[in-house]
Amino acid sequence: NMSKAKKFTVTEGKHAKFRCYVTGKPKPEIVWKKNGEIIVPSRRHLIFEDREGYYTLKVLYCKQQDTGLYICAASNALGNTLSAVQLSVKGPPVRFK
Amino acid sequence: EVAGAPGAPLDVHCQDANKDYVIVTWKQPAVDGGSAILGYFVDRCEVGTTHWAQCNDTPVKFARFPVTGLVEGRSYVFRVRAVNKAGMSHPSRVSEPVAAMDPADRTRKGASAPWTGQIIVTEEEPVEGVVPGRPRDLTVIEATKNYVVLSWKPPGDKGHEGVMYYVEKSYCFRVRCCNSAGVGEPSDPTEATTVGDKLDIPSAPGR
Repeated sequence: NMSKAKKFTVTEGKHAKFRCYVTGKPKPEIVWKKNGEIIVPSRRHLIFEDREGYYTLKVLYCKQQDTGLYICAASNALGNTLSAVQLSVKGPPVRFK
Repeated sequence: EVAGAPGAPLDVHCQDANKDYVIVTWKQPAVDGGSAILGYFVDRCEVGTTHWAQCNDTPVKFARFPVTGLVEGRSYVFRVRAVNKAGMSHPSRVSEPVAAMDPADRTRKGASAPWTGQIIVTEEEPVEGVVPGRPRDLTVIEATKNYVVLSWKPPGDKGHEGVMYYVEKSYCFRVRCCNSAGVGEPSDPTEATTVGDKLDIPSAPGR
């Protein structure tokens, strides 16, 4: 039910960090998706489990194109589930002299 | 290290684990050391201990071995060594742990469907000076025509929480001629050509 996904806004050029806590046994397989497409780790998209055990996606140096619906999808032998958030990237603040 | 001994076996896996036995499989080493591999020894270690026990008294020929005598419900890891007439290889990398229990018990025992919490998004300031340092002690452990095994240690200065690694490779090429009389001397090698992707970091505004 994606229309109810929580919205977050980050500033262009800043990093966006997504954290999601996941439980399940056997340990679920986790994939992060943006607008339905699996996010492949790259130099601008870091995917890791942080020290507190949260599954973490970090999008570095956000651009307008990073706006979209982000999903953390978890599955194991017993089932699957997901959480979603809507990210928007706003332009950098304009300074008036 | 014994000269002429085989390379370590590769890709050790467990199949068909149940309470009576675990079938361990592996791939033969890419390097036989110059003489035929006579067989393999399988070792097991109960997870949480450091005691490795050899499972077979005489080397087994085939790259597949059922390990028996396990304690039901306990978890084990396995490794394999290859032997030829010169001696014994290093042990393989250790398998994933596997529990000696029937598949039905395994899925029943404390299993639960996944649950995901609310995703929390935070904005972070790109910080200067947190780039991790250089990986240390990069060495080639094994090289064949099909693969190269690399090993390194993490940098002393890790920067922030997660460190990822990129392996960049560069190749040199050289050419030699051959005819029925034999193979000639190689040409001078080309300069090393690096293959890698670029990090797309925008420059600070106003520069």
